[in-house]
Amino acid sequence: MQHKPTILTGGEERSDDQIIAAHNAKHPNNSSSGKSVSGTDESPLVVMELLQRLRVKDAMRSHNIISVVRTDSMRFAQNLMKRNNISGVPVLEDKRIFGIVSVNDIIKALEGGWIQDQVQKRMATNLVVLEEDMPLAFAIKHFQNYSFGRFPVLDKDRNFVGIVSQRDLTRVLMNELTKELVRLEGKAVKETESSARGDTALPYYSMRQFVVVHNDLQNAGKAANEIKRMMKDAGLDNKLVRRVAVAAYELEINVCIHSLGGSITFILDTDKATVIAKDRGPGIKDVEWACIDGTSTANDWIRSMGFGAGMGLANSKRVSDKFDIQSKIPTGTTVMCEFYLKGKKSE
Amino acid sequence: MKIADIIKTLNGTLVAGGQSNRSVGAVVANDLMSDVLLNDSEDILLLTSLASDQAIRTANIVGAMCVVVHNDKPLPQTMCQVADSLGIPLVSSPLSKYDSCVRVWQFLEAEKNSL
Repeated sequence: MQHKPTILTGGEERSDDQIIAAHNAKHPNNSSSGKSVSGTDESPLVVMELLQRLRVKDAMRSHNIISVVRTDSMRFAQNLMKRNNISGVPVLEDKRIFGIVSVNDIIKALEGGWIQDQVQKRMATNLVVLEEDMPLAFAIKHFQNYSFGRFPVLDKDRNFVGIVSQRDLTRVLMNELTKELVRLEGKAVKETESSARGDTALPYYSMRQFVVVHNDLQNAGKAANEIKRMMKDAGLDNKLVRRVAVAAYELEINVCIHSLGGSITFILDTDKATVIAKDRGPGIKDVEWACIDGTSTANDWIRSMGFGAGMGLANSKRVSDKFDIQSKIPTGTTVMCEFYLKGKKSE
Repeated sequence: MKIADIIKTLNGTLVAGGQSNRSVGAVVANDLMSDVLLNDSEDILLLTSLASDQAIRTANIVGAMCVVVHNDKPLPQTMCQVADSLGIPLVSSPLSKYDSCVRVWQFLEAEKNSL
């Protein structure tokens, strides 16, 4: 009897592919499996980016797969699983998968008295599989949606190429996150010298976020200094580096002394650098007034520390190519400064 | 005017940040750091009374070549550590900021006339 497994891949969902396509169009220098790191406007978070960039084939095991053939007995499968301490085996012949025998199937066979039957009579054939080119995010969804501990992986010709478990996903994600952490500590990954820098675009993308604590003037300015170091390491023009650093510093001090705390996010993209200051409140009553030189609500203590002259926002605006501020009482203020790597205000 | 000249002219002491071979490109005397950030000059000599980490961090942002703190103000240990880590020479002077300005101006004028 020939069993033809029903293969449910979930491939009809296009959203991940669309995200990857948009990402690749935005960062043509970065291949999907390359070492350069890039992000999308939709989800600049490192983990999200990793889940989209990594593929199932980056996590799957393709060697030493323990399997049975259709004519093996359930008892043979049981012994094989016991000996290798595994909870399931695929039924494989010539790169083709016919089914899976799990611990549950073995228990049922023992209870039902058909442990001597050939596996082709008792194996699970309604398989849920993954394709090797699917993003890792897709695999994670599968593990959330189904109770299986592993999924067989097929190539585009429907040949069996490996198997992926939750443990495999964790392993590859931990490895990649470790690499990302090293890079985000200020070491922006540069392309190899052979892929020389283009006239208008830098070959990397970098993002870093810094926490700013209310009234912690002891540490205020660390983020801006680190941003300056990152830009210098990236080999950017000194005047541009100074403008970005000035804006980052002013905004960082503002968040520190005027808000309940927040963050400074720095994004270095191929064509621009962006500094975003976001705080948790209390918000600015009159944003236009706050942006005027010399207007300040700072107290004497802040002034004694060298700040509070009321030039923070005006200074940030002065050095930026694009400046935007949104504020709402009591939820907080978000200020965004953009700097074009080629062009305006580079004087 | 180099670090050694600054120390000599202002009766100062190099407290942290180490020596450097850079020359003074511009002089900024200010205690308000936002004012300092407004300045676009290179190789700034920052004369200030602000004895805090922020004076050094601000100096680093604008690429200052030296920071001088006046009136023999006690310098916090963290300020010296920041200066060391960022490699910015930090000089302590017994002079007032006004006196420093005068002496630095005189030195630079003499330097200009000798060329």
